[in-house]
Amino acid sequence: MSHLLDRLNFLQSKELEQFSDGHGQVTRENRDWEDTYRNRWRHDKIVRSTHGVNCTGSCSWKIYVKSGIVTWETQQTDYPRTRPDLPNHEPRGCARGASYSWYLYSANRVKNPLIRGRLLKAWRKMRKTMTPIEAWTSLQQDPILRASYVEIRGKGGFVRASWDESTEIIAAANAYTAKTYGPDRVFGFSPIPAMSMVSYAAGSRYLSLLGGVCMSFYDWYCDLPPASPQTWGEQTDVPESADWYNAGFLLLWGSNVPQTRTPDAHFYTEARYRGAKSAVICPDYSEAAKFGDIWLAPKQGTDSALAMAMGHVILREFHLDRQAEYFEDYCRKYSDMPMLVRLDEKDGKLVPGRFLRADEFSDDLGESNNPDWKVTAINSNTGDIVAPNGSVGFRWGEGGGWNLEERAGDDATSLQMTLIDEADRDEVVAVDFPYFGGQATEHFVKCEHPDVLTKNVPVKTLQLPEGEVRVATVFDLFCANYGLDRGLGGDWVTSDYDEDIPYSPAWAEKITGVKRDAIITVAREFALNAEKTKGKSMVILGAGLNHWYHMDMNYRGIINMLVMCGCIGQSGGGWSHYVGQEKLRPQTGWQPLAFALDWSKPPRHMNATSAWYAHTDQWRYETLRADEILSPTAPEGDWDASMIDFNIRAERMGWLPSAPQLKTNPFEVAKAAKAAGQDIPAYVAGQLKSGDLEMSCEDPDAPENWPRNLFIWRSNLLGSSGKGHEYFLKHLLGTDHGVLGRDLGEEGGTMPKEAKWHKDAPRGKLDLLVTIDFRMSTTCVYSDIVLPTASWYEKNDLNTSDMHPFIHPLQAAVDPAYESKSDWEIFKSIAKKFQEVAPEILGKETDIVALPILHDTPAEIAQDQVRDWKKGECDLIPGKTAPNFIEVERDYTALYDRFVALGPLLEKAGNGGKGIAWDTKHEVQLLRELNGTWDEGAAEGCAKIDTDIDATEVILMLAPETNGEVAVKAWNALSEITGREHAHLALSKADEKIRFRDIAAQPRKIISSPTWSGIESEEVCYNAGYTNVHELIPWRTLTGRQQLYQDHLWMRAFGEGFCVYRPPVDLKTITRDVNTDARDGNPHLVLNFITPHQKWGIHSTYSDNLLMLTLNRGGPVVWLSEIDAAKAGIVDNDWVEAYNVNGALTARAVVSQRMKEGTIFMYHAQEKIVNTPGSEKTGLRGGIHNSVTRTTLKPTHMIGGYAQLSYGFNYYGTVGSNRDEFVIVRKMRKVDWLDQPADTQETAE
Amino acid sequence: MLMTLKCISALLSYPSEDLQAAISDIRSALRSEGLLDQTAQSNLEPLLEWLGSTDLYEQQESFVHLFDRSRTLSLNLFEHVHGESRDRGGAMVDLVETYRDGGFEPATSELPDHLPVLLEFLATRPLAEAKETLADAAHIFEVLQTRLERRKSKYAAVFAGLLLLSGLSDNDEVITRMLSEEDDNPDDLDALDAVWEEAQVAFGPDPDAGCPQVRDMLASMDTPVNPAPVSPARAL
Repeated sequence: MSHLLDRLNFLQSKELEQFSDGHGQVTRENRDWEDTYRNRWRHDKIVRSTHGVNCTGSCSWKIYVKSGIVTWETQQTDYPRTRPDLPNHEPRGCARGASYSWYLYSANRVKNPLIRGRLLKAWRKMRKTMTPIEAWTSLQQDPILRASYVEIRGKGGFVRASWDESTEIIAAANAYTAKTYGPDRVFGFSPIPAMSMVSYAAGSRYLSLLGGVCMSFYDWYCDLPPASPQTWGEQTDVPESADWYNAGFLLLWGSNVPQTRTPDAHFYTEARYRGAKSAVICPDYSEAAKFGDIWLAPKQGTDSALAMAMGHVILREFHLDRQAEYFEDYCRKYSDMPMLVRLDEKDGKLVPGRFLRADEFSDDLGESNNPDWKVTAINSNTGDIVAPNGSVGFRWGEGGGWNLEERAGDDATSLQMTLIDEADRDEVVAVDFPYFGGQATEHFVKCEHPDVLTKNVPVKTLQLPEGEVRVATVFDLFCANYGLDRGLGGDWVTSDYDEDIPYSPAWAEKITGVKRDAIITVAREFALNAEKTKGKSMVILGAGLNHWYHMDMNYRGIINMLVMCGCIGQSGGGWSHYVGQEKLRPQTGWQPLAFALDWSKPPRHMNATSAWYAHTDQWRYETLRADEILSPTAPEGDWDASMIDFNIRAERMGWLPSAPQLKTNPFEVAKAAKAAGQDIPAYVAGQLKSGDLEMSCEDPDAPENWPRNLFIWRSNLLGSSGKGHEYFLKHLLGTDHGVLGRDLGEEGGTMPKEAKWHKDAPRGKLDLLVTIDFRMSTTCVYSDIVLPTASWYEKNDLNTSDMHPFIHPLQAAVDPAYESKSDWEIFKSIAKKFQEVAPEILGKETDIVALPILHDTPAEIAQDQVRDWKKGECDLIPGKTAPNFIEVERDYTALYDRFVALGPLLEKAGNGGKGIAWDTKHEVQLLRELNGTWDEGAAEGCAKIDTDIDATEVILMLAPETNGEVAVKAWNALSEITGREHAHLALSKADEKIRFRDIAAQPRKIISSPTWSGIESEEVCYNAGYTNVHELIPWRTLTGRQQLYQDHLWMRAFGEGFCVYRPPVDLKTITRDVNTDARDGNPHLVLNFITPHQKWGIHSTYSDNLLMLTLNRGGPVVWLSEIDAAKAGIVDNDWVEAYNVNGALTARAVVSQRMKEGTIFMYHAQEKIVNTPGSEKTGLRGGIHNSVTRTTLKPTHMIGGYAQLSYGFNYYGTVGSNRDEFVIVRKMRKVDWLDQPADTQETAE
Repeated sequence: MLMTLKCISALLSYPSEDLQAAISDIRSALRSEGLLDQTAQSNLEPLLEWLGSTDLYEQQESFVHLFDRSRTLSLNLFEHVHGESRDRGGAMVDLVETYRDGGFEPATSELPDHLPVLLEFLATRPLAEAKETLADAAHIFEVLQTRLERRKSKYAAVFAGLLLLSGLSDNDEVITRMLSEEDDNPDDLDALDAVWEEAQVAFGPDPDAGCPQVRDMLASMDTPVNPAPVSPARAL
């Protein structure tokens, strides 16, 4: 488009008009060529939005709209400024986000509601003569009709449907399920609400009004670090990325910041410019490794050995040989190190037992309230044993003593850390500690020492009512555990770094392959910096550590280092766990909306890991036995059981939630209770004890206990996060699958004790699978109904991250394309249809919700001893020794009316969270005035929540983080418990109310609130634990301190009282049967299967985007080391197959020097809908990365009813680890693209 | 109104009872207008027959499988012209404005570049102008025809008809290139390998050389498959 001939190139007219005193000239040449540039950047409007599910970047983007069409996006650059001497947040964004607008108009978009043709045809035929409920009932009661659509899941056959028809089928299915089996057979899965709160809340509000089950995600993704609730009573709280800049020493451990935290990485670079030192620890030469002053490459899965050795060095040099004053002071005030631990006798030897509690003294140490939940220590001022302020016993039932002041009641204290002085101790005794480092599989280095290491510890002997009891401080036991020689004699301790004693640098060198000098240097510099800067040493850690079965040990090893060096709660220091971040900052404003707490409580929450483990029948294939992970020092107990058995016990004792809950429909149970004239809790307790009523968990395969309907929205469960993918397909969905192994029945393995075994496992438990997405993901392909949702530039929503302190909007730059609607509108329409359809069989019903013992509630101090009512060890007391059984009234004739209105319960019961409650009448009234009220119907007089913007206003108005008035109320409520003044943290913001249009104009910084442990201020960046250290608010643990010793029976039984090194577990997935390549003598490799986050996608999103595919290799790839590849005759770009008993996957090989021998990387999650050929092994299309995984539970994650070890949604519970997996890798002989229709061959097309 | 284009627009729409009922009308409209020659009309017969006689659900499943689910058969023309390029949004804007200049406002949830929408619009235009626009998109019709023929789909005849209307010969250079570039034919492994082969990165004195992979990709994104439109009316 040249305009060369239109303009003069060499000449200029002399007759030009002049203006502005000759400074301006008027020209008359053709200037059309300029339009090219003008039009290129012409637009009608720019709208602020962001990317809203699976990326926690929360980056502000400008969306350009022209004639109602999104043309492109660019990074927004108007974040509020920081402060002098701190870089600003921009630029935020990455290549993935910059390509998002492609999705809006992509051919991959879901354009219309889609229903499997066979289902719709049958439905329409029935609907000619039947009501919706009758139609669904006949469909379900005809096994051939049901199988006709169930068995072809994943094999195409979709037709378009109208919204009206789709929602009608869903509503009828939900109503039928609630009536027939109970509402808790309707499940919903959606992750990470922080990234689009209203979209999440839409579905969870619908489910909660229905009585359905919201599945957790953070634990299922294995992004939850259980070490955090164990240590701090906090789900996860971390510094914002800007605080990296304040660090003096940055340790990147298993986190690849430049690749996976792209928008934040600049703070890391800037910190390096400022002069911060950095060490990077990861087995591969990652992008982050290039930033390090030093790179340590330990054998994968041995990080806790490395951390323990570093802890050994720090203790030796900063706590024992020399006592760094800052460290000693910090540990005494803010950790459990001074607390006293009983030493219990087992077979004539001593092992660490429970914390010594006030109730074990004859006078209860003067404590009348909860003496059994008050831990004890020695006050060095007087030499007396006291119950210092702040332990969990002070939190409930009394006010004013729950703080970290150095007091015990009225007495000033200075707690004593150690009994090492001869004057302080009564004797030195031998104490047993478990050692697991000698039992690794052949893939890991064993460092053989006895499995019990007996070490000397200084103790005091107390005369208590029960008799003579020996006690030691946590610190003294802690040092013994680390193998430090303190001149007490005895074995298994050393003062020589070069001696191979467990946890010495020389020992760790053997296990990890990292040179001892490097270990010592990094540990020393980390601690030295912390000492000089009072805690400004920081560890950034992530999935590389947390996805191992023994992730707690990796994490606790590192947390120990941070606590020893006083880094937690200090600006520029602390732990920065950045995987699956889940910081929904205005949490307490969001919860009432999301779980319909404005209408009824409690909602049904379920820990997804245990639920999927049971309902996809992965438990039937379990090969890991408890005795493989049990401690040799375990107290007596019934430890010989399967993982599912432990889970069932946990559900029975009220530790973990259940879904479904009771085998009998709760509506029927409630009716029976009424007929019997009994209270519901008493009735259920009686029936459970007599065995007339069964908990569903005891028989997951009974048809009454199957999940029947499943909603998946904002998620690609089957294409991304479904560990044990092939088991999902086989048992939950009932379609073609690639499971290669056999279950315990077929294998003749050891059967579970508590779970009922059916010889034939069910196939196809779900009646209806509904997925809501904007793109045709793998999950959509397997669904019965696919609903098209608005993309992230087509809806209004809220978004927060823990990477920065701003609250951020998603906005509808354009109307939803094609037939799509926002999640809010979709669930609204389902609710509306439900209200029309359901009254045929459901009216006002009494439901019974089984509620586990919840953290941050007075009930959390329920079980100081482990007792199982079913074994007759105690009585069944609902809410104390078992789940509580709570009556909930549901009105199915007004479900929609309630959905779109803010219910009356908030005014009646108030609002709150994390154990704090406040009155919120004023906010509810303001919402009435702001959103308007309903004039008639079931919600007359209630504030409207009609549009997605109405919903955002509910969140913003109710939350302390976005409403200063509420923040002040919340801090004052906390003051009543702590007896200290905290409101000063929010007073300056008391008048501030952030509204949706405010954040549309510019992202706003949130207001400090007691929901979180950091503060927002002009002085410091957000950092976790800040208010614990600076406001003396206790951590929400048993001891009220950072708890490095875990005294629960199950923790001690499984050897994790103190942090230890535990090698990866043996999942036994490479069996002789499955490894045909070994049998036939074919070249193959057995490699550790590692699934890190990728560079060209956020989980599976963008992994079907051609721009991103072009930057990588255009389909699934795995990474191999050059040495391994050569061994199996694999060259770069070859097609390889990876398989084990769980299934098989196919991918191209990237052969790279980056990789460590013995490992294979497959970035998750690469879609199998893109360029994936068939597997020779299964004859089906190659699987996703989760085709070779199966989830395995860990009993210590099931503990409940015990202060911080109590259940909370996404807070504590079993996690879906997957790093311990091994696969057989071989070059593929022939590549078959399975391009035939499904009737001749499987295809996921 | 150019009934032939209107009929083809209907034939490429999602199968419905209305469409089934209209098959004989379509047949006679095509015959009476005669824009398509006898051969082209009889080539369409199997599709008309199928749409008129088979089970609607079978037709709908087939349509969703072909046109909603297969990116290479998308009926959104710019998927084939611009793909992931940022020019796609701009091109759609131009097309909407063309409709508006022609006196119409889009009243559908489909995007402006959806082929049935465009055909309906062209049906209201003078034949010469319609042909000119069709000629601009002829290479896409040819590619879609070939791809559908490979799948043995009856819909291929519709694109053969459009190609005929566009009056374009089939040895066009662009078409040859598009078909030869086709990379998602899963049977052709060598072609697939070639697409994935990485060029060697050579670091040398030429600072503009950069990474050949990225440079090539950017270059190919900058070059529209089709020559730049001369006027908005020829947005394709």
